[in-house]
Amino acid sequence: MDRWQYLIVLGACLLVTTPLEWFGSGVYRQPRRALVAVLPVAAVFLIWDAVAVAAGVWWYNPQFIVGWHAPASLPVEEVLFFLVIPLCGLLTYSAVDNLLPVVRHHVGKARQR
Amino acid sequence: MTGVGYTLPAVLAVVAVCALELTVLRTGLFRRPAYWISMVIVVGFQILVDGWLTKLSAPIVLYDERHTSGIRFPFDIPIEDYLFGFAMVTAVLLLWERGRPRTGGSLRR
Repeated sequence: MDRWQYLIVLGACLLVTTPLEWFGSGVYRQPRRALVAVLPVAAVFLIWDAVAVAAGVWWYNPQFIVGWHAPASLPVEEVLFFLVIPLCGLLTYSAVDNLLPVVRHHVGKARQR
Repeated sequence: MTGVGYTLPAVLAVVAVCALELTVLRTGLFRRPAYWISMVIVVGFQILVDGWLTKLSAPIVLYDERHTSGIRFPFDIPIEDYLFGFAMVTAVLLLWERGRPRTGGSLRR
């Protein structure tokens, strides 16, 4: 069970942030725009990750990963990390960006009273 | 404790992302309150998730302390992780902003 830990953490991140999709225009409903934002950054950071692992700067505890590896001996969880965490960031920003005018509108109204 | 392997590249990543916005992309992201509010929320959740990943009692990610500053806060999170996260999330948000659908007829430039 321990070896699923990293995957479970990433799954929890996706689960917690999914409801943010409903505030405004969302992220999953703009898949092309989301991929164009996430994939280039993921590529750069995956290279950084691979170099760091190869140089022994950091590494992953085999006890908490499933053991499937992408090229450059990166655990599959690391590849998913660079998709999941940016998606969480995008969902947060999209929700805040869409909610902020609503909040400002109500604060403005309250001040007028 | 040299910081060459992690501290230095983490600082450079932040500088590179900021330079990218200020010289090439010019999306105006840094002037948007929504960005800074989002980053506060992101760091809040990073502390929970990263705290779990790096906790020294049962770490999922381990670091060679020779390549970090050795400063971990809070819990056992290497402070370099905040620079790493800032650079990654900001870069994604910059590209997301660049892809913002144009509204109205007046285009910039």
